Amino acid sequence: MSVTSADEHDELNRLLLQTAQNDRKAFTRLYERTSSRLFGICMRMLADRREAEEVLQEAFVSVWQRSGSFAPGKASALTWLVTLTRNKAIDRLRQRGEVRLDGAAAMENLVDQADGPSTQAEQNQQYLRLRECLDELEPQQRQSVREAFFSGATYNELAERTKVPLGTMKSWIRRSLLQLRACLGT
Amino acid sequence: MNTIDDNDRNHLRYAEYVLGVLDADERAAVAREIAAHDEAAVAVGLWQRHLAPLAADIPAQTPPREVWDRIIHTLQMDTPVAPRERGSLWNNLRLWQWIGIGASAIAAACVVVVVTQPKPQQQAVSAGVMVSSIKQDNGVAGWTATMDLQRKQIVVVPATPSPIAANRSTELWLIPAGQKPISVGVFTNDATTTLALSPALLAQLGPSAVLAVSVEPPGGSPTGQPTGPVIGKGAIAGAPANATGRQAAAT
Repeated sequence: MSVTSADEHDELNRLLLQTAQNDRKAFTRLYERTSSRLFGICMRMLADRREAEEVLQEAFVSVWQRSGSFAPGKASALTWLVTLTRNKAIDRLRQRGEVRLDGAAAMENLVDQADGPSTQAEQNQQYLRLRECLDELEPQQRQSVREAFFSGATYNELAERTKVPLGTMKSWIRRSLLQLRACLGT
Repeated sequence: MNTIDDNDRNHLRYAEYVLGVLDADERAAVAREIAAHDEAAVAVGLWQRHLAPLAADIPAQTPPREVWDRIIHTLQMDTPVAPRERGSLWNNLRLWQWIGIGASAIAAACVVVVVTQPKPQQQAVSAGVMVSSIKQDNGVAGWTATMDLQRKQIVVVPATPSPIAANRSTELWLIPAGQKPISVGVFTNDATTTLALSPALLAQLGPSAVLAVSVEPPGGSPTGQPTGPVIGKGAIAGAPANATGRQAAAT
């Protein structure tokens, strides 16, 4: 890791707060520091380079326009950015209204690796805690939650992909979410 | 079997929203709850903090350079504010942009309108003129709105509006202090639009109200309230008393 988690956390918070003050240099730097990670998310969710580029573009236009609503006490800058980008990607997926069934291969590569490729200095504490809690889930349920998060797919799409009844998929994920909540606390 | 109570059910919906498994309609319903209820917003925020760290498991990929170029272009950070074509004074964009500089300029602007357009109806107008420079989130004035209380109309003149998607409309709202937005009407993003002011709107016009612009489905918000992002806001300034006095002197 090139920087410590705390340093990066603070730097991104500062850059986003400065962006909210119409500081273009901070906005440029924020893009340099985070666009690869956010583009990775777009590519994973949309599985289409052109659309991923468009969503990343929309996301950063919104970052500039909505940065005033960022409150560092509520979430870290990275959480704020990831959430905004995923929401844009999910909106795009719902507009597309089509099921992509080619996620299976990517799922093989991503699901349940012994150690997540967390080469970036992500909020490590939260990340490790989440991983611990995920590890307590049944493998199938853990896999479903991860795939849901990575793909942005609906219950229907997940059930179809995994070839399980819709009710089973809902029950896996809902039970996992309740278990995660208990594990992670409020 | 254990049962899931209502509280759990709600929390599950918020978790499902953040995880991303809800379909478009269910997502929209939760989004409305977030906007309306603090409790929903807090619960969703908590789940975002819980789940967002998972994104660390997705390999990063460097986006092509063009993406940044397009962002800069969309936000109009790559071009200085360009003067537009000249037309009649009423449509003279440079004047409207200049009015947008600040309320102190409005008095002088009203006099200019009166002096250089000595038509009788214009003279009557200027005493009841209010102006608003609607600024976009990028800090650039998007439109100047001039409210003519005598003619009961509002003229929206584009200054430097950011482009919007082709299948979207821009809608103008009047927001009286502490009240819900009232629709003024749909206007053309990049051309001068004149809209009628209803008595209900006229009654609410004043310095304590603001104008706002939102992006809506074609033809405007289906709900009567803004449904899309608000892309611009502007305070309303009345023509100062001395402008009215000087106008009287000029006639």
